[in-house]
Amino acid sequence: MTPRRPLHDIIVFYSLALPASLIILILLLLLLSQLGVAIPVLGVQGISTYTTTVWRPSYEPPQQTIIWLPMLEPPERGAWYGLLPAIWGTLVSAITAIILGLTFTIALVVFIEEIAPRRVREVFSTIVDLMAGLPTVLYGVWGLAFLGPLLHRYFMDPVHSYLGIIPLFSCEPLSGATVFTAGVLLSIMITPFMVALVQESYRSIPFTLKEAAWSLGMTRFEYVRLNLSMILPSIASAILLGFGRASSETAAVTLVVGNAVNIGFCIFTPAYTISSLIANQFTESQDFPYMLNALFAGGLILLVIGLVVNSIGIILLRRVRF
Amino acid sequence: MVSPAVETRELRVRISGRDILKGVNLRVPEGAITAIMGPSGSGKTTFLKVLNRLIELIDGVEVSGEVRVFGSNIFDMDVYTVRRMFGMVFQNPNPFPHMSIYDNVAIGARINRVARSREELDRIVRWALEKAMLWDEVKNRLRDPPWRLSGGQQQRLCLARALAMKPRILLLDEPTANIDPVNTAKLEEALRALRRDEGMTILLVTHMPHQAVRVSDYIVMFYDGMVVEEGPTSEIALNPANEITRRFLRGEM
Ligand SMILES: Nc1ncnc2c1ncn2[C@@H]1O[C@H](COP(=O)(O)OP(=O)(O)OP(=O)(O)O)[C@@H](O)[C@H]1O
Ligand SMILES: [Mg+2]
Repeated sequence: MTPRRPLHDIIVFYSLALPASLIILILLLLLLSQLGVAIPVLGVQGISTYTTTVWRPSYEPPQQTIIWLPMLEPPERGAWYGLLPAIWGTLVSAITAIILGLTFTIALVVFIEEIAPRRVREVFSTIVDLMAGLPTVLYGVWGLAFLGPLLHRYFMDPVHSYLGIIPLFSCEPLSGATVFTAGVLLSIMITPFMVALVQESYRSIPFTLKEAAWSLGMTRFEYVRLNLSMILPSIASAILLGFGRASSETAAVTLVVGNAVNIGFCIFTPAYTISSLIANQFTESQDFPYMLNALFAGGLILLVIGLVVNSIGIILLRRVRF
Repeated sequence: MVSPAVETRELRVRISGRDILKGVNLRVPEGAITAIMGPSGSGKTTFLKVLNRLIELIDGVEVSGEVRVFGSNIFDMDVYTVRRMFGMVFQNPNPFPHMSIYDNVAIGARINRVARSREELDRIVRWALEKAMLWDEVKNRLRDPPWRLSGGQQQRLCLARALAMKPRILLLDEPTANIDPVNTAKLEEALRALRRDEGMTILLVTHMPHQAVRVSDYIVMFYDGMVVEEGPTSEIALNPANEITRRFLRGEM
């Protein structure tokens, strides 16, 4: 016979279980309200909300289309809220951020763990941790005032004039506020976070495995490559979680991305991301029918990307165990 | 003992100011199995790690004296070249967990560029696994991860990895300390065969006198960072001259 649980035990259990279940409830509510507010616009514009590139606020509501038929061009008349450019901008800036951020991350982790003397190592680790916690709007203002103009003048302009035949660089950068600038700024913002993830995993490689590697006569390069391959799941996880952050970052991106409805392969152009579109258009959206709903339809995409990417990332992170 | 594979003169090791090896003078014969015995903390592991310069991974290590391997001073050589002359098996099995059984062996050959083609690599992997007496147990599961193997099998996998380097000398640091008698017997058999068929020079640290008697040609007794006795196994096992050796062999230490 199991002894009865004392009363205070039960009280503690339920008083802690309540906030815990509240979290799940909030997540559900978030999902439901995103979906709920998005549904009206999806009922009118259908799937085409996500496949069209026209953003045309108007007092005349959008015309009804076939819900499951994706169109590339919206109807001629009435309002239209196509989210494809914002989705595209989100992907382009986040992918740029991941490519650069991953390069920085690997370089930093290898430098901190394998090359820097102990003193320097600690200084670097502390700086990285500090940077991970700074308010993102600081990065945004800095990006707007310094990074953007700097990139414009010393990177985008020269690259455009010499490598303009490559589609990626084919458009003339008119200012520092471009989707590329957003990508670079995001890479700076997610690097400390990615470094923390990869570094922790790198450090968890047991000494006996490192000894085994050195005992085979590996050069430092071969040794580092082996270590990185051992923690590949964590690196993949850092990429996904970093992507999750980059694609949802709002304050900083809104300041540097240029906020223009644009879609194309050139990265030197101002653009929107989903989050900057929401931040930028939210006030106005109260005035036009279905516009607020369209912004929620964008939020829905962010939520789905976030949930998928983060849960895979977290699962992968648990894969590295020595 | 004509030409020693390894020769040390006045080898001293200090770690963070503490003397760990206090002047070791030793000649390790080529093509034989030399057992290194001694109580815990007497510097056996340290001695092995000086030979392939793995000791340099530890912070605050000072090494002085001379170590010659086949006549060349290892401190005059490139550290990677030194390490590639030795294959090492550690006290606990340490296969790379993210690689298959095959790749765990192949990496030994790859790092040392001993294979020129895919077929040659396959041959070396098979040869190494056979020499480690593991081939029959893993030939149908070469793509499995190593942690599916038992501890004893993993240890033989590590032996195969070391052999695939085609080393001139094998270093084994209490390789059977944590494995069962059946696996221990297989590993010992593998070592004897390596010496017999390949003429491999083997340095085996062991705390089991019986093991030393079973496999070794020579015994070296360490005590407190020094060699207190050395000689052919038959002589030392039957008639140890040193009191410390006598007590150790009787299992009193
Ligand atoms: N990384 C290290 N830092 C400081 N001291 C160390 C280190 N490694 C070994 N020592 C010291 O060196 C001495 C010899 O250690 P070593 O591992 O060579 O002994 P051993 O003979 O192999 O012992 P065992 O039979 O327990 O494996 C010990 O006193 C140990 O405390
Ligand atoms: Mg030891």
